[in-house]
Amino acid sequence: MRVNRTLAVAATLALALAVPAGAAAKRLIIGGSTSVLPLMQKLAAAYHQANPKAPAPQVSGGQSDIGINGAATGTLDIGDSSRDPIVGVDPKGLSFTKLARDGVCIVTNSKNSISNLSQQEVEGIFTGKVHDWSEVPGASISGPIDVFQRTSASGTEDAFQHIFLGEYLKISPSAVPEQSNGLEQLHVEKDEKGIGFVSFAYTGGVHPVPYQGVACNLRNARSGQYQGVRNFWMVTKGTPKGEAAKFIKWVTSGNATTKKIINSSWIAVYPGSLEGPGSGSA
Amino acid sequence: MPAGAAQRSFRARLGGGAGDRRTELFLRALAVGTLVLIAAMVVTVFVEAWPSFEANGLAWFGSGGDADLQLKAMYENVALPGHSLLYFRAWPLIWGTIVTTVPAVLIALIGSTLAAICLTEFAPEPIRRTIEPIVRLLAGVPSVVYGLVAILALAPFIEKSFISNGRKQSVIYVVQLGGENLTLAIVVLAVMITPIMVALIAGALASVPSAWKEGSAALGVNRWRTIVRVSLHTARPAIAAATVLATARALGEAIMLAMVAGSRGFAANPLDGLTFFYEPVRPLAATLFQEADGLTIGALGHTLYAIGAVLLVSATLLSFAGWAAKQPLKRYGIRT
Amino acid sequence: MAASGIAATPPGSPPSSPPGPASPPPGLRVIAPPRQGTRSWPLIDRLGYWACWAAGISLCAIAIAIVVYMFVQGLSALSLHLLVTSPAATLQQSQSGGFLDPLEGTFVITAVGIAIAAPLGVAIAVWLSEYGNDSPLARAVESAIEMIAGVPSVVLAIFGLLVFSQSFLGFLSESTSSGNATGKSFLTAGAIMALLALPLVVAATREGLAQLPGRMREASFGLGKTRATTIRHVLLPSVRSNVAEGVVLGMGRIIGDTAIIVILLGGTLKTEPAGNVPVLGLLRGTGSTLTNYVYYNSPAGEGNSHEKAYAAAFVLMIIVLVLNFAVVRIAAGRRRSDDIGGSWWRLAGGRGLIRTLRPAQEPRT
Repeated sequence: MRVNRTLAVAATLALALAVPAGAAAKRLIIGGSTSVLPLMQKLAAAYHQANPKAPAPQVSGGQSDIGINGAATGTLDIGDSSRDPIVGVDPKGLSFTKLARDGVCIVTNSKNSISNLSQQEVEGIFTGKVHDWSEVPGASISGPIDVFQRTSASGTEDAFQHIFLGEYLKISPSAVPEQSNGLEQLHVEKDEKGIGFVSFAYTGGVHPVPYQGVACNLRNARSGQYQGVRNFWMVTKGTPKGEAAKFIKWVTSGNATTKKIINSSWIAVYPGSLEGPGSGSA
Repeated sequence: MPAGAAQRSFRARLGGGAGDRRTELFLRALAVGTLVLIAAMVVTVFVEAWPSFEANGLAWFGSGGDADLQLKAMYENVALPGHSLLYFRAWPLIWGTIVTTVPAVLIALIGSTLAAICLTEFAPEPIRRTIEPIVRLLAGVPSVVYGLVAILALAPFIEKSFISNGRKQSVIYVVQLGGENLTLAIVVLAVMITPIMVALIAGALASVPSAWKEGSAALGVNRWRTIVRVSLHTARPAIAAATVLATARALGEAIMLAMVAGSRGFAANPLDGLTFFYEPVRPLAATLFQEADGLTIGALGHTLYAIGAVLLVSATLLSFAGWAAKQPLKRYGIRT
Repeated sequence: MAASGIAATPPGSPPSSPPGPASPPPGLRVIAPPRQGTRSWPLIDRLGYWACWAAGISLCAIAIAIVVYMFVQGLSALSLHLLVTSPAATLQQSQSGGFLDPLEGTFVITAVGIAIAAPLGVAIAVWLSEYGNDSPLARAVESAIEMIAGVPSVVLAIFGLLVFSQSFLGFLSESTSSGNATGKSFLTAGAIMALLALPLVVAATREGLAQLPGRMREASFGLGKTRATTIRHVLLPSVRSNVAEGVVLGMGRIIGDTAIIVILLGGTLKTEPAGNVPVLGLLRGTGSTLTNYVYYNSPAGEGNSHEKAYAAAFVLMIIVLVLNFAVVRIAAGRRRSDDIGGSWWRLAGGRGLIRTLRPAQEPRT
């Protein structure tokens, strides 16, 4: 008898729980590039403040290729990418919406403040031809160079490859791969012989090296003088629909909140937003 | 024993009335359900892994190029020249696993056997009472804590003392040396598995019937020989079981090795001499852990499941070896 | 990691005084034989002896060094503020925030894991020892459980990811707005954690059941009770301490695992419930645990906050200490009340009989 009663109670409890359980807990899930991550986190928080009824979007990292593939397979509503779409390589049927523009800085340890790196020096160091800091003019330390790169899925790595090394040279395979901008920044910060490349938002605590005579900062990137600039994309499967469409529309509408957020460390790309020399903080 | 009808009814009652049958069915359903779930797990992993094995054949286990570059090609969806997208040669990762696990288990085996002997036979009572809870605590500490202490305390020490500029220069064409390398991995792995082995072996040594040791002493054999000839000999199954358990733990250790072993899919080269010990490696489980984000990407997903399948098979083989090693233990009623 | 403790008394040590009357008759002195020294041993035996001592001393030294180092670093970084504040919302953790959410996450995951593993484990153990006997099915279940015990947790995690991202299991975790299940939540991670704890619970319960003497079962059958009732009222209460030991060991294993958390728990530092339903929302949401937090704040993760990592590691070690202590107490309690033969079986009617067939909880005098 007691067993039957327990079973009956358990069954009713299960049914009672199943009703809300059946309703899938939906949420806008955004993920991908670690370069886009700080920007997307701020945008998501502002979006939730502007639309408190919808659940807050969940933003995560994982690097650009994960974002693109996630959008394609449906595990992400919006994928973040910090590299441009590559026809024939990326899954078909994706739609890329430009979000902002961002710069990639070459960084060294703060003890090693190099005043400038030319194209040849950059090529030599990152392809592994130049091994020692003594061969680099302007270096304040000596010893073998510790090169840090990013892992395979990174969009920043693709961007660095295209912008700084061109189509034919490849980063030396002996460089240590890091899984995110944050880790790259940490390792260069701790290793005085280190050199690497990070997105603008991650240059705290390390020394951004001027490239070809131009300092790596927001002002020079906006004016177009600094050449290490690349695009941020939001990737969806087909044209954006539903919640994703609402979010993308809000972000690209050029309203005051988004303008303020994007202009804090990135370059906005929408009509009426800030672009041009001397505007905004560097 | 009640005879005749009473006996039959007793047996029938044992066989089960209605309530008994329901209970048995319910419990059997649960047990079989778990069995089915575990079997489904094994089958799923192998089904997902099959394309990778099919594309590479037995050469999957061989060497041929940089494993990291092959994984990179799968991320970028651009096949390496001359090969398919599924091309993968896992040897650097397998070698990394072997070269971290085997020395660590050997060091732990010798160290923990000697330490267990010391603790059970020679150490005075107060010392044993203090050390026992400490050893048990260390056996239970999560591996991420070991990894944390290793990176923050040991890695800078190794980097400063052993990795000179000259050493770095000698291999800089192929790989960069850092504090996270093979030596650190072996040391931390050995330290991590020793407490478990000490606890098991000491337990087995303590369960050796004292009559045997007293008999040996009565025959004039000195204490050391008694220990080696009688206690250790009796505890052989426990030592084997402890080794198997430690090896299984070392093989499956993903997070700590991801933190301390250097994370480069590079086959450390013994021909480099002493520098061999300072090269970064990347064992199989650590690779799986670090690349787990890519499970949804087609070719990469198959390769990662293939790595998982290899780990599953080796864990099963070890499990079987452990079971076989524990069988003689049951004779002496030693708990493991 | 079911490790048996080191025995309390060293067997085989020579008695310190000759057996016989406790005090000698007046006027006589007792000369105890000297303890065997090592001077008479051959060199190779002496080398072995010294190697032993060297290993023992270095084990003690290393063990104490590790524990002291972790305690010192952890205590110096730990403050009450950390325990009650949530992690800060930024990537860099060094500025502000504590680890309240990871602490909460650890408890939730352990609760979910044990809630699944304990009943399931006891049920399987009972079936294996009472009903299954030596049938091939029982052997298969046994080997499967043994195998799970040895499988690396990463493999279980990737299996979990595959299973729980199927849409029919989508109610266990959050979904994207287009309806695909993410497969990452407390429920999914807890379910896989249950697989980790299951072999420990099964082994401990089976051992307990095996140690119960057959006469308990026979007496119960002799009184006309069915096997099911015997299990429920006689056997299971007797193995309570074994089940408790298995559960505590399982909890230790669950608390210490990081790989499953990183892969299956969604990696948000703060606990983010999915929706507004009180308990179910939390269970379906994502969060982090202490192990995840330690990994994130170590140099291998992005938090860049070593002190907080040490503090969280310290809290983890305290939890492990408490669990170890619990195991020792449970085992000691069981040794006390282990003997169940004897004269305290009383014959009374009906249910009272069943109750008195359980072993006495007080120690035998």
